[in-house]
Amino acid sequence: MPIYKSDTNGSARARSGSIALGVFVLSLITLYLPDALQDEVASLLRGSLLRPFVLTQEGLVRRSIHAEDTDVLQRRLDSLEVVIANSNTLSEENARLRRLLDMSRRNPAQYVAAIVIRSGTPGSESMFMLDVGTRRGVTRDSPVMMGRGLLGVVRDAQANRATAMDWTHPQFRASAMTVDGSIYGMVRAAPGRFREADRLLLNGVPFRQELAPGVALVTSGLGGVYPRGIPIGEVIEESGFQEGWQRSYWLRPFVAPGEATHVNVLVSEGGEYRDANSWLEGGPLVPGPVAVPQEPAPATSGTEARTRR
Amino acid sequence: MRTPTRIWSVFGFLILLHFGLHLSLGLGEGAPDLLVVALLIGAKEVDIGRGAGIGFFLGLLDDAFSVLAFGANTFALTLVGLGGARTRDLFVGDSLLFLTSYLVLGKWIRDLLHWVAVGEGLRESFVDTMLIQSPISAAYAGLIGVVVIAISGLGWETVR
Repeated sequence: MPIYKSDTNGSARARSGSIALGVFVLSLITLYLPDALQDEVASLLRGSLLRPFVLTQEGLVRRSIHAEDTDVLQRRLDSLEVVIANSNTLSEENARLRRLLDMSRRNPAQYVAAIVIRSGTPGSESMFMLDVGTRRGVTRDSPVMMGRGLLGVVRDAQANRATAMDWTHPQFRASAMTVDGSIYGMVRAAPGRFREADRLLLNGVPFRQELAPGVALVTSGLGGVYPRGIPIGEVIEESGFQEGWQRSYWLRPFVAPGEATHVNVLVSEGGEYRDANSWLEGGPLVPGPVAVPQEPAPATSGTEARTRR
Repeated sequence: MRTPTRIWSVFGFLILLHFGLHLSLGLGEGAPDLLVVALLIGAKEVDIGRGAGIGFFLGLLDDAFSVLAFGANTFALTLVGLGGARTRDLFVGDSLLFLTSYLVLGKWIRDLLHWVAVGEGLRESFVDTMLIQSPISAAYAGLIGVVVIAISGLGWETVR
């Protein structure tokens, strides 16, 4: 027989009701807490009670990355060597031309490598955690990139952890432009009917300017969050949304958030020096015909010549 | 035998399993919402004050990863905990049908409250979320909940 217990004491019931009401009010207050306080509570929980679970996923992701097929990694390494070898001349030319034009040396971009940890809990669909934080130079608004383009941006950074959102988040925004800088617009997430159908929408393109399908868009650097030139996506087609004398276009992002396990975070200082080329100077970054080297070195035959696309 | 020790052991185990599946293994939607199952099992054993308190605590844990919708899970689980505790005053039944309905409806209401609390800017369409996705995940959670209750021998004779 199931045990049935009930409060028969009226005062106990009233006390319980008062507690329930108090907790309910507290839950309402939690909804409207200031952002800073919400972040503090969340990071406290992540760093204490939930830490073992986070560390477990971190370990598992690290193992899965290490277990990646060495043949694939070798091909990528060979391809990168080809790209670097071919861009050496360009770098020298660039440096010489800058000297001739009396331009100062460009500061190299700095990145820290990070592992992506997804919580998989309700309400965190477009959010992920990184295993690096302020000690490695990661701050709020640090851009997060995968090999082929922009994945998202850091929202909150602690000492050894950071929380970021990817481009599918409804609040994601990035100022974008074509690679030649002739057309500008604002990119935002456009949720699909299902998560797999999420894509990006480019707004604010002047009506007199048109974009052909396949045209690549990169960050414009306006707004100060994303540096100029990070690949975002390519135009699929013009969308039906028109606001005044402006056009908007559907974009196919270069990066799928579901594939993200290992990313690079662009940091302003304190990061490891990993690449001397900034995004637009390091050779072709977006899909285009100039990506394949003219004369591949014999040692790299059979490898895939990749570029960031 | 349905003893308090057994009930709270299952409650704790479900919470650990929930975060193990969702967080450690990163299964996301592939894993059932065991947090709400644990809450609904635990809430039946306590008064509404404690039920709301347990829901509040579990909601905070779930909210630790939702930076821009912080508080939505807390709000939803607080009310589900409160409602779950209230059911013991309203329903005496312990049949398989009641139990399944209790778990499925509890999960669906939890999703509905979360959808309401998450705010207009972040929520997806009502039809897709509440009429397509949520009933499936509610049925999934309900099924797993009934299986857990039956296996753990919590004393619902009709289930076993």
